[in-house]
Amino acid sequence: MRIARFAALLGFMHVAFPALAADQDQDLQFIPQAVQQAPPAAVPAATAIDTNRNYLEDAFSLTPQRGNLAVPFPSPAPSRWEDRLFLDSRDEWRLRDNLRLTYSGRFNLRAANDLDFPSHQTVLNEVREAYLTWRPVEGAWLDLGRVNLKSGVAVGFNPTDFFRTRSVVEPLTVDPTVLREDRLGTLMLRGQYIWPGGSVTLAYAPRVTQPTAIYNHIELPSFDPMLDRTNAQNRFLLKVSPELHGAFSVEGLLYQGGNRTQIGANLTASVGQRTIAYLEWAGGADAGLIQDALAYGRQTGSFPANAPAPLPADSASRFRNEVSLGFSYVPAGTRLTLNIEYHYNGAGMTQQAWHNWFAAAARRGNIPGVYNALWYIRSYAVDQQQLLSQHTAFVRAAWVDAFVPKLDITALANVSLQDGSGLTQITADYYLSRNWTVGGLASVTFGGRRSDFGSLPQAGGILLRLVRYL
Amino acid sequence: MRWMMRVLLALSVAGVGFSAAAQTPRDIIAAADKVRNPGQPFRSTNTLTEYVSGQPRNQDQLVVYAKEDPATHQFRNLVRYTEPPRDAGKIALFSTPNLWFYDPASKASVRISPQQRLIGQAAIGDVLTVNLAVDYTGTLLGNETITDPEHQQRQCWHLDLQAATDSAIYRRVEYWVEHGSFRPVKAKFYSDSGRLLKILYYRSFREQLGAMRPAEAIIIDAVNSSLVTTIAFGNLRFQDIPEAWFQRDYLPRLPKE
Repeated sequence: MRIARFAALLGFMHVAFPALAADQDQDLQFIPQAVQQAPPAAVPAATAIDTNRNYLEDAFSLTPQRGNLAVPFPSPAPSRWEDRLFLDSRDEWRLRDNLRLTYSGRFNLRAANDLDFPSHQTVLNEVREAYLTWRPVEGAWLDLGRVNLKSGVAVGFNPTDFFRTRSVVEPLTVDPTVLREDRLGTLMLRGQYIWPGGSVTLAYAPRVTQPTAIYNHIELPSFDPMLDRTNAQNRFLLKVSPELHGAFSVEGLLYQGGNRTQIGANLTASVGQRTIAYLEWAGGADAGLIQDALAYGRQTGSFPANAPAPLPADSASRFRNEVSLGFSYVPAGTRLTLNIEYHYNGAGMTQQAWHNWFAAAARRGNIPGVYNALWYIRSYAVDQQQLLSQHTAFVRAAWVDAFVPKLDITALANVSLQDGSGLTQITADYYLSRNWTVGGLASVTFGGRRSDFGSLPQAGGILLRLVRYL
Repeated sequence: MRWMMRVLLALSVAGVGFSAAAQTPRDIIAAADKVRNPGQPFRSTNTLTEYVSGQPRNQDQLVVYAKEDPATHQFRNLVRYTEPPRDAGKIALFSTPNLWFYDPASKASVRISPQQRLIGQAAIGDVLTVNLAVDYTGTLLGNETITDPEHQQRQCWHLDLQAATDSAIYRRVEYWVEHGSFRPVKAKFYSDSGRLLKILYYRSFREQLGAMRPAEAIIIDAVNSSLVTTIAFGNLRFQDIPEAWFQRDYLPRLPKE
């Protein structure tokens, strides 16, 4: 009897497995007929990899404006509406085995409530990059031409991105990751050597023209390469990145622009499965944002050379730091990447400087040119891509396949830690097909009337865009 | 009576525990790794076709460069997007724990966390060349006959894999490997919380890079089973991949030939 029970048990074990297997075979029902019948997708024969990207985009934007500003904004005011149709190109050609040509640019047609149409302002051609790359030996490269040389590990503010100054022309969004995509490169000679132990980069950008006044949106040159934005002083950069092959990465930078020298560092650390911590820092002697702005205005003829400062400022040239400290985090079970950062600009405006800025307008606004001079300081910070306030916080959330597949949503907030004012923006892009994308964004500035963001003429913005990849 | 007991016992061992006595779970997983991955550096062009409710909807294409790290015996991967046009030129570096993502539009390299292998375009984690024997500890659950996507019955080892390193993409994997051939037939991937995320089948085995290897994988999204992705592994070829390629600053310089 015992044998019979044992044999029955063995028999059960043998039939139990097919039963389990049958459960496993249920999964096959999820494979669509089209897949079951189709042979593996044909893969094109091995050829050179095509990574060129060209697209046509139309972007229509509305910019609601704030009334009753604490400090009146000098003309021209921001456009209330604008439509921009542009062809964006990024192409590379192999000339020889070790010689390549790269071009990147954007050709815009613009119409806006405050632009004559058609006029020379209708056309705006931006040559972002045009350079030759020569590889004399394996691991070494020389680039000559207009090159976008970027540095930095943070998302919202990059103190070590020394070539960012004056490089952004009429942005469509304030998202810093998008600002980096459409900016002018610098005419330079760049050498780079990469070996298994790390890399070293040396760049020299010559001065080819004089500094010019800050552009406004109704006075942009149509076809000028705008080298005055990028090559108005001699600049050098040395960057060293040892390869640590571990959870940490480190990079050191030494930069000289004109008579100003800065040093910088980028550090990242992988913490567990979901977090990357990072620190970006740059420092050097500087007179401060207000003093720099007024000096630039006098140098470029925006003010008379002997124009008095519209407000008191700490003009001492001393060592000042710029810092981005933050982390990225992926919450469990999501397709969301969150970046949270603290930004510090030692040259930026303190709480006292903001008080002085508003007080100067209230006390001396009747003096011609005072409003212009006050707003010039802020325009200068935007033009230089420098933080206006000393302390700010930045949060960005990027959600892939949000709610439905192929819908990406990005939300960001930039908040002054000095007065609590800020800007929020939400962007949505839906990939209709391989070639078509439709998207939009909405932004709002908030804060008191006498605050950083609450004093801006732009109350927010709405933008709709349609993209056709070519 | 005793001899009958012995015969039954021998039969049961032969029937249930066959080959397992000769092969440890680690041996089985390592042998299946060798079927999927050659021992030398190589590159492949992977075409990902996404089906929604049975209809093809999107197609992505990626070029993957893979090289085994002699120190860890795990593969390091470089993944370059070539399709769709909006993603063309983006590159991801996976040399755990050194993970970076380069976008030629912004010309910026951003460090990413291991979890970010599972988000972003086409879940890069699904196309990476990985030696499971390095990242997982296996247990043999038993032997099963399962049906593969080509409707063939396959006698398989059924293994339970638990993540043993931080570089493991999924916390737990159920794995079916065919007796004798060591061909991987099926896998189920689970999240940290134990939720079934994906079901994967291999099919279309053919001679590639000196051995019979799968030419296609079918991935069923277990959370939304109307989503199915196929990955066709094409243009496989051995390629010398210098060590210098596996660092952030090399990404913008990656050759396009």
